[in-house]
Amino acid sequence: MSAIERVAKMRLTRRGFIAGSGAAALAAGFPMPALAKGPVVVGTWGGDYQALLTANFEKPVLEKKGIEVIHDVGNAPPRKTKLLAERASRRGTLDVACLSDIDMFEMSQQKLFDDVDPAQVPNAKNVIKQLQKTYAIPHIYSGKVIVYNPSKMSPTSFADLVDPKFKGRIGFADGLYMQIIESAALVNGGSMSNYEPGKATLTELKKFDPRVYPSNETLAAALKSEEVWATVMWRARGFMWKKAGIPLATIAPKEGTTPIIFDAAVPKNAQNKANGWAYLDAMLDPGGQVLFADRMGYVPTVTNAKLPDDIAKEIGFTEAEQEKFNIPNYEYIAKNNSQLLEWWNKSFKA
Amino acid sequence: MSVVMEEAAGGRRRSVAPMLVGPATILVVLVLVVPMAILFRYSLNQFIPGQFMVEAVTVENYVKFFTDSYYLNVLWTTVQVAVACTVISLTLAFPVAYVLARTTSRYKSLLVILAVFPLMVGNVVRAAGWMVVLGNDGVVNSILRGIGLTAEPIKLLYTPTAVVIGIIAVVLPYMILTLQSVLEGIDYSVEEAALNLGASPSKTFFRIVFPLAMPGVLAGTVLVFILCMNAYATPVLLGGPQFKMMAPALYDQIARSTNWPFGAALAFVLMTTTLTLTILSTVFLQRRIRR
Repeated sequence: MSAIERVAKMRLTRRGFIAGSGAAALAAGFPMPALAKGPVVVGTWGGDYQALLTANFEKPVLEKKGIEVIHDVGNAPPRKTKLLAERASRRGTLDVACLSDIDMFEMSQQKLFDDVDPAQVPNAKNVIKQLQKTYAIPHIYSGKVIVYNPSKMSPTSFADLVDPKFKGRIGFADGLYMQIIESAALVNGGSMSNYEPGKATLTELKKFDPRVYPSNETLAAALKSEEVWATVMWRARGFMWKKAGIPLATIAPKEGTTPIIFDAAVPKNAQNKANGWAYLDAMLDPGGQVLFADRMGYVPTVTNAKLPDDIAKEIGFTEAEQEKFNIPNYEYIAKNNSQLLEWWNKSFKA
Repeated sequence: MSVVMEEAAGGRRRSVAPMLVGPATILVVLVLVVPMAILFRYSLNQFIPGQFMVEAVTVENYVKFFTDSYYLNVLWTTVQVAVACTVISLTLAFPVAYVLARTTSRYKSLLVILAVFPLMVGNVVRAAGWMVVLGNDGVVNSILRGIGLTAEPIKLLYTPTAVVIGIIAVVLPYMILTLQSVLEGIDYSVEEAALNLGASPSKTFFRIVFPLAMPGVLAGTVLVFILCMNAYATPVLLGGPQFKMMAPALYDQIARSTNWPFGAALAFVLMTTTLTLTILSTVFLQRRIRR
């Protein structure tokens, strides 16, 4: 039958009209199961993180539920700025915001997020107790360690980096200013509630011409070319760089390791909250978390995700290391971030 | 009768004028004036760490800027870089614009497209290209080491020179196009007359061509200076973390420190400085044009 013939047969008969109207009325009265549950806008980092979210959580878990994921890719500072700028708006642009634990706490102080609802995020019951919080779920975590070139040095503490032998060979990523000041503080009588002694350590280190790089990637290139030999970084990054062929080793420093947790939360003004919660639940899927660990080196945050022994040894932390975890004092950091950044810019980098 | 018609036409013109100007004015008010007014209000607020922004009416953010040598240095660096880039780009662009304006080659359109070509690539991409060229393992250092001029790489990236080179590469097409459009309008017979009367080519340039091109020089200089003062991506990528200009410093305050009041104050200091210097240079150059 040709197309013209098909159109010609579409005559509206009285019986056909009644049947058609009846069907329409039924459809209106009894909602049909939706094919898609709509979109979820996720504010996240790009690169490997985004690719792994797509491969391990979005495609296998969320696509089946008919949720379409839209990524709002960028670094954390613009994401924080967006959340703050939209805080008075009833209709925010993000349904899920991914931030580090420090940033997430700072934003939660502005009451930007809904509390995690265990009924809507069933996987939250498996979260490691020490990592639980009311306003966000912990997605992945790692710890701050010394990443170094084993053919050039073998440090055991941040204090070992402050040595004229390593003049010009210590490099830092600009974005980790807070963690570097904290490390410097801990070897000079400071604590997780007092980073001030770190300024003296870094002033001493400055005499030995440390390098500051604009990003983690540029720091990795400097480590690869052996322009610098050591830095302070997340163990997960060290793992990734090592996998990429950079000659590196990592060590949890004597003064202890500070965990870094990458969190996700649903803003109060999210437009697709149900999908936001579904996204958070998918992020805690144990299978996806194991794959994340294998590729990016971050440790799972749920107790039911079991890592293969070789990977666990490489990226995880021993019980002794975990006992020496320095838990961040988020309140102290939120209150001092601005002045510490100013000191970093004006005194250390200048 | 004709007077009546002219008056009627004038009335129509008067009634049409607001309709023509209205949409653009409303748009500018909505997307520029209102956000700027809000930002100015923010600059008078207080920043209390841990509490973000607290409502207040204080000039402490401006006082902090003008009493802190670090931020004054950042502003001074910005002005120096902007002036250097503007002068160098004017010097480099003038001969190119002159050739483009005077050439009768059938490839003229192609040459104009070539001059505009860099604008088709974003600032960030261009800066990334310069990083490849100027890095320790970049093209320049590889050549220098290859021909045995240096054993160790020379630091080219993350220096003020790299920033100036990068910004000039961004603004040069704007200067060329602005100058070319004005030079096109200068009658070549004026130059020929000067040469016929015995003026040397350099005298013809400095006494005839350059003064006649002053409106283009003024427009190009102002446009490029404003772009340089507000440069962000190039200083961040090529200047590195130690090198600070106003736009990256402003970003630091708003995005990294979440200190919006001080960030807003920096924005207004940058805008006021740019505006003041632009007005001063315009007045100065216009006086020279009149002479």
